[in-house]
Amino acid sequence: MTTLWSKISAALPLNEEQFPLQFSDKVESSVVEMLKRCRQQLYSDATSGTSRMLNAQIILDFSWEKLNTGTWRHVDKEWRRVYSYGCLFKVAALCREDPSADEVLQAVRTCDMGLLMGAAIMDNILQVIVRILQREVRESTKEGDESEHAEVKRIKIECPHVPVIKEELAVPRMKCPSLESFNTNCLLPLKPVILEGIIDHWPALNQHPWSIEYLRSVAGCRTVPVEVGSRYTDEEWSQQLLTVNGFIDRYILNKDGEEALGYLAQHQLFDQIPELKEDIRLPDYCCLGEGDEDDITVNAWFGPGGTVSPLHQDPQQNFLAQVVGSKYIRLYSPEDTDKLYPHQSQLLHNTSQVEVENPDTERFPEFAKAPYLECVLKPGEVLFIPVRHWHYVRSLELSFSVSFWWS
Amino acid sequence: MRWFGFGFNAFGQIYVHEKLMKGECSNSVNEVKVISPTELTLANHVDRSDCCQIRASWSRRASLHLDGDSCVCLEGFGASSASCGIHVKESRGCKDASISESYLTLAFSDRIESWDLQKEEKTPTWSMEIKTDNSGPPLNLPVVPGGYIATKPPFYRSLSPHLKAKSLALSAEHAILLSASGAVYTWGLGSHGQLGHGGLTSEEEPRAVEALWGMPMSCVATGGWHSVCISDGGDLYVWGWNESGQLGLPSRGLRKALQEQHSQQAGIPCQDASTSPAEEQQEGEKHEEVFISIQAFPALLDITPSCEIRTVSCGSRHTAAVTTTGDLYTWGWGNYGQLGHQTLISSDEPQRVEFFREQQMRVVNVVCGMWNTFAAVVKEEVACS
Repeated sequence: MTTLWSKISAALPLNEEQFPLQFSDKVESSVVEMLKRCRQQLYSDATSGTSRMLNAQIILDFSWEKLNTGTWRHVDKEWRRVYSYGCLFKVAALCREDPSADEVLQAVRTCDMGLLMGAAIMDNILQVIVRILQREVRESTKEGDESEHAEVKRIKIECPHVPVIKEELAVPRMKCPSLESFNTNCLLPLKPVILEGIIDHWPALNQHPWSIEYLRSVAGCRTVPVEVGSRYTDEEWSQQLLTVNGFIDRYILNKDGEEALGYLAQHQLFDQIPELKEDIRLPDYCCLGEGDEDDITVNAWFGPGGTVSPLHQDPQQNFLAQVVGSKYIRLYSPEDTDKLYPHQSQLLHNTSQVEVENPDTERFPEFAKAPYLECVLKPGEVLFIPVRHWHYVRSLELSFSVSFWWS
Repeated sequence: MRWFGFGFNAFGQIYVHEKLMKGECSNSVNEVKVISPTELTLANHVDRSDCCQIRASWSRRASLHLDGDSCVCLEGFGASSASCGIHVKESRGCKDASISESYLTLAFSDRIESWDLQKEEKTPTWSMEIKTDNSGPPLNLPVVPGGYIATKPPFYRSLSPHLKAKSLALSAEHAILLSASGAVYTWGLGSHGQLGHGGLTSEEEPRAVEALWGMPMSCVATGGWHSVCISDGGDLYVWGWNESGQLGLPSRGLRKALQEQHSQQAGIPCQDASTSPAEEQQEGEKHEEVFISIQAFPALLDITPSCEIRTVSCGSRHTAAVTTTGDLYTWGWGNYGQLGHQTLISSDEPQRVEFFREQQMRVVNVVCGMWNTFAAVVKEEVACS
């Protein structure tokens, strides 16, 4: 019987000499010295767990400060690598000596912090280790899952205000169009369309239908960023880091009476949790673009009914695939931008000031004159949102969508 | 004058533990996190009771001995295992010094030099001539005639003469300048409110902090993401990021971190970094507490009981202030013992460091490294009975 530590150990380099610690000059020698202390302790038995944790935490604290200095875009990749090393040493310290269930969860969380905020090190070793840890977590929680089914009933069933779509404003639909047909009728003229039947083959809709139970089993203990607040233009809006279980408990099932809205939005979940990536496919139509397949950004959007993405535009083409639940979506052409009152600030200039389903007609008189298309997007349907097309999205019930940003 | 240090000591910059002297590295928590003020042993050869000044970076501490044959001694990372640390020969005759993680900057009466601490070279990485006259104000790094010395190249940055720079504090990404007339200017990155102009935008050029206009200030300091200044009347103003309580204002981030620590220690599995509202209500406190994570305008900080502040210094996420009555108050991030309250707990409320009172010592100065604090004390005059 192999212990958890022996499995993790097997994923690490054989000895100290083969453990790489290469950094640019940007990383001061005092920091490299501390990293070397951590490495030495990793391969030595003659040291205490407290000491290993202490040194790993020093690396994490120092690199955390670097990560928060300047703008995120300009943070030197070296400091993100150092942060990942800190996570690695901390995980090793947590798992070394017969870790408790809670310590294993802490280790999963630490791997996630490294995956979210750090940069890949040693052939993405944090991804390798989190997979080992998840297996451990799954094995120890196999018993006692009867409570799951009762949970699903607790989800709010009432769907407030399902909009009736006016036929003349409905987004046109096509069923499995050929590449040529899509290109000619939609992509080149930049016209929105709902594509039906093109994701019917996704495992997410077949062999592994995505559900709350499924997500808990595949990713329950993983930490993800969650947006809290009614919309990102609100003052009260903030971001939190939660486990998927914690997010489901608090914001989907409302276990503790939480009133605020939580939305797992715009997160590259499929890079973080490869098992979920296997449940989806890249839409073939993306090959009509000029960009590389590797440059396509895939985001997950998972949340309860009522989440709102304010009217905004993006600089790339978008396929929005609906997997679970339904969303009300409204689209405005970039030609009518002058009637949509975008924010002036640099940060929000791609976002309209208007609340689409409750517009202030005094402040925004021209808005009512802007023509639009609308739809209720249902499971199995994919909405093509042309580049820079303004779009507003409200979930009508528990919803999981996948977006593909391509050029 | 004696100096005491507490906080981060992983490189022996506060005191050197036996193992370090033998060339091993000690990894005991007590030695890496010094929670109780510990007297600094100063270089043996320095045969006087006055160590004038301390400067500290993350991994080092520099002691400036400015009497007569002045010099700078370095302790911490890279210092030799002998107990007196490195004696920087090249520093003989210097008037002032400043230290960052990468460079040691020395100010002489006729020149400024920056030495690269990562390399062992015989000459400074950079130097420049200056003209000072003995009648003018003493050198006050990083301010130099015509400008200031930055923490990384290009070292010399000019400053407009109309600013009349008297003193300057620098963090990695922002700067605060005190003019001869007591006005305060800030520039650099503003994303955490550290510039004090009311927003989160950055400034490329020094911009006056209007909220303080008309109130002459006497001292300025910067932390990693916060700024502090003292008025002529001894009032303390703070602004910037408060995620660890470094502003001395209620910090939600701090309360959450403390709860997480608490539940981990109590053995309660804690998966999330956020507090559940139900827990807070159970404590019976129903009052609505206003938390401040970013203070974009200067705020007056009341350090109770009312007292005048004499000097202040900041680490990356903590603040230390000395009162005119000789007390030291600290607040902010405390995970390494840098608050000196003999715990590893952070605090969003200024608290007095009782150690000095108990020892009947009067604190007269404070200088912070990134994660530690150094206090200068003199013996309290014993009251005649």
